Formats: sequence, C-alpha cells, structure tokens
Amino acid sequence: MSAKFVIAAILLAFIAPLSWSATPAKAIQPPEFKQILNSYRGNVVIVNFWATWCAPCLKEIPDLLRLQQEKASEGVKLIGVAVDEPTENSAEVERFRSRYFPAFLTYARAGAEMDELAQVIDPTWNEVVPTTYLLDRQGRVVKRIQGKKTLEEFRSALETITRK
Amino acid sequence: MIRTGICCLVLVGSMAASAFAAPLQVNPTGHKAAAADISVGANGDMAILWVDRSPNASAPGNHDRHIAATDVYVSIARAQDGAFGGAVKVNAAAGAVWGQQVSRPRIVATPNGTWHVSYAVNDLHPTHQKTALTTHYTRSTDGGRSFEVGRRLSSLTDQDMSGTIHGGFVSAAAFGTMAAAPDGSVHVLWIDTRHMQPDSDSGAMYAAVSRDDGQSFSVERNLVNTGVCPCCQLMAVTNDRSELLLGSRKVLPGSIRPATVMRLSSSSNTSAESVSIGGAPWQIAGCPLKPTAVAVTGDHVFAAVHNGGEEKPGVIFSVSKDNAAHFDFKGLVHPEATVSDAPSVASNGKTVLIAWHARANGPRHVFYRYYSLDGEPQGEIREILTGDNAAQSPVVATRSDGAYQIVWQQGDNIFTDTLAGQ
Repeated sequence: MSAKFVIAAILLAFIAPLSWSATPAKAIQPPEFKQILNSYRGNVVIVNFWATWCAPCLKEIPDLLRLQQEKASEGVKLIGVAVDEPTENSAEVERFRSRYFPAFLTYARAGAEMDELAQVIDPTWNEVVPTTYLLDRQGRVVKRIQGKKTLEEFRSALETITRK
Repeated sequence: MIRTGICCLVLVGSMAASAFAAPLQVNPTGHKAAAADISVGANGDMAILWVDRSPNASAPGNHDRHIAATDVYVSIARAQDGAFGGAVKVNAAAGAVWGQQVSRPRIVATPNGTWHVSYAVNDLHPTHQKTALTTHYTRSTDGGRSFEVGRRLSSLTDQDMSGTIHGGFVSAAAFGTMAAAPDGSVHVLWIDTRHMQPDSDSGAMYAAVSRDDGQSFSVERNLVNTGVCPCCQLMAVTNDRSELLLGSRKVLPGSIRPATVMRLSSSSNTSAESVSIGGAPWQIAGCPLKPTAVAVTGDHVFAAVHNGGEEKPGVIFSVSKDNAAHFDFKGLVHPEATVSDAPSVASNGKTVLIAWHARANGPRHVFYRYYSLDGEPQGEIREILTGDNAAQSPVVATRSDGAYQIVWQQGDNIFTDTLAGQ
C-alpha cells in the first residue's frame, strides 16, 4: 500500500463525515416510510420533519447532522422528511439537499397530503415544522420536539434514550 | 368543468341538507392543483384561484428555479348562470410562481369588477445571481379572460441574506395576502426577511397599496419592522370603512408566537397595535403552516387559527365586537378531532361560517360549522363527505346571495360547493 494511499485514506476518514453525500432525496408513500423505519430497529432514530422554506428548520439541520456524527457509535441515525409540495422525482427537495446539506439523508412526501408521512409516527401531528421525533431502539416514539432547538437541547433529549 | 359524484354533503349528527348542489371539480383533470383561494365580486361573479404544479410548469422561462415551480390559474363563475368558465393562466412565465399551501397566491375583486392577483415569484437577483423570493401582482380588467404581465411589488435589496435564512434566497418577500377595500384601494402585504438577523427568527411586514384599481402601486412600505413570524402566512380582509384587519403571528421573547389581528387605516396605512386573539400561549420556534383566518361584519371581527399551545392542540375561535380592539376567546372549534387545522372564516352579516380540516376517524376531511355573530355555535359540526378520499385546506367566502361558497383540495384537485347562508 503506497504512502499516498494511506494519507488519502486518513484524510478521507476525517473529512467524509462532514461532507459525504447521502442518498438522493426520494419521494415516498407511507407504506415505504414504515418499512424504512422498521429497517432501523435496533438504532436510536431521530426523525426530523422539515421544509426547504422553513428558516428555523434549516438552522437546526447542521446541529442534527453534528449530533448524528457525535452519536454514531451509539447507533444514532438521522432521517429527514421534507414536507414540501411534491414535485416530480422530488427534484426540488433533492436540488436543495444536495446543494446545502449533502450529508443529510432525507425523504420527501410523494402525495398531496402534507401529513401523510407524519401520520406513520404521530396521528396528532399538527403540521408544524420543524418537528423532530426521537425513536428508541424498538421503534417507539419516545419524544416529540417542536420548533428549532439547539445542539445542546437535542443532546440532552437524546441522552436518556441512548443510555437504555 | 367536471361534476363529480364522489362527494356529497351531509350533517354529522343529523340529516338536515345544507348544500345547494353537488361539488364541482374546478381544475382540469390531469393537472395537479393545490392551494386554492376564492373571491366574490360586487356583481356576484366568483373567482377560484389555484396553483398548478403539473410537470410542464418547469418549462423555459422559469429561470433559477428554487423549490417550487408552479403556475397560477383562475376560473370565473358569472353571477348570471353560476357556471364556472375555463381555467385561465395568470402568470406569463411558465413555472415562475413560488406557490404552495404555505405561500398561497391570492385573488380579490374591486367594486368595478377588476380581479387582482398577488403571488410570490422566484426572481433572479441580478447582482448575486441567486434566487430572490419576491411578491408580484397582476390584474384582469376583462372579467378574468386575461391577465396583465405581472409586476414586482417588493424591491430587490442589495444584501445577500442567503447565509442567514439558509435557503439560498438572497431575500424573501412571501407568505403574503391581499385585500380590496370598498373605497377601491388594493392592498398587497407580505413577510419580508431583509432585516432578519442571523441569530433571530423574526421577520418584517411590508405592504404596497394601489388607489387606481391596480394600475399603479405605491412604493413598498415597512409596516412592522420586526417581531413577525417569518414563515407564518398573513391574512387580510377589509371592513365597510375600508380599514384592513390583518391576521398574523407575532414573535415574542421566549419564542411565544401568538396569533394576532391588527387594524390598519386604508387611507394612511397607520396601524393600531396588533391584538392577540387569545388562547393558551404557544412556545414554538418554528412554522405553524396556516394563517390566522379573519372575517369581518360591521364592528364584529372573527378570527380562527390552529393553536398548538392548547391542552389539546387544534383550531381555536375568537370574536371581537369592537373592531379588533379586544377578542373574546371562544375555545376549540372541534375538540373531538384528533387534530384540526387550516381554518377559514366568512360572515354574511347574519351568521359566521368556519371551515377547517381535521382528522376524526380515518383520513383528513373538511368540516364546517355555523356561528352567531356573538360567536355562539349554531347547529352541529358538519362534514363534507369525501369517503376514503382525504380533503384539506378549505377556503370560504360570502356569496352575493348571502350563501357561502367553499373550496377545498382533494388529492390533486380543487373542488367547490355552495353552503346555505342559514
């Protein structure tokens, strides 16, 4: 293994968590969202409902990405759900995500109902963004957080769940 | 126009009929429609407006498309026969409109029959070469058959705020409303982020007014410099003295965001203090997506909004009998619902009609209820039955015959129906 390759690998290991590009935003229906959430059983999952036009949402996404990075070893995963009006192939959400938050794994709603994906988690969701749900390792909603929060507030909210 | 057999109107709890006709689908089949608005002219003509988010909206002419690429359409029903005409495209450049449920284009009529439309547009800032979200206006002086080329009412500011509002916009002038007064003035208002600080979630409110039926507009005016929820929509109506009653959300210390109504003089645009419509304080550093709905008759002002601060969050209703100086909180309109939101209010001078969407059992449906001018419920909560089809985002208006017209979104289509005036 060449020295150059080793140096490149070391650099990549440091840089990747900050700049790697997540899967493109995919428009999904509720059944697929259920499957996705089920596939994360065993992890603590942060589900963040956001919108590209929601300034408070955009301010907290960098903190959520940092939190995911901090807590990766404890099995914490971050999933975004954009509630923007659906466009073909979720092109508008993906254009935005890839430009501003390339490391953000997010899905987009495919249907006309703004609350259809949130209903999978919370039948009482009142169409406020940002809304963040913390799901425990069994996939149960442990906490609903509405409005923009700080990194410290998210850390604190997550603390009790990751310890279990 | 398609007459649909999907829906019918019934009472929840009793069997009294209330609708005059079966609901009509307003938008052409095959198009994806959303974010409807409705207005009634002095001659009884009605206009329904909607956003078309069909794929062909992303055609050339839509320059630096950001996050929405839509067109705006209008359909007019003549008072003589009540039949809605064909859909007329309002914006000239295809797909240039930033139109969606949270930033609805609006339509109003002035007494001489001109239709006025305001909407947000993705403009390209000439210096920064980034998207600037701006408020535009157009009008139809031929009864809705055609619309003039849109004009920008909000200015392009010099600064680049894209780092502050994190959305790539160098500035944003959107989430607006429009109202036409009996004196013929046309008021376009919007929320503006040009003064927003990096550590703040507080916007400003700007307005432009026309006193020549939309031929020209004043230079934009800063009505409220700070403390306006930046992503909560505005809603304006006018009273018979041509004063504006403006529903909005304030941002108070501690991220308390009360729904308020502000009264503004039409002639001078001077404003009274915004008054809270009541309810429990809601601490939310976020975007409640629906506006504070307002209606007026005489000195009675009616306001409804979703309040997440209530013990059981939902739509609340308040009444002022002194022209928005004080509001009496009437409580939740649909306490039995799992969640209720998106209210719209209208009054024909004898009754008040509130419509909203809610989840009770099953998919989200549209509900409505009549109230007295004192805010007391009259009859039961009624539902627009759409079966397994979800329905949302109703808007109501008073017709010239005293009945009410309601419009709502059902899937990717817009429907309308007439409800009795009681």
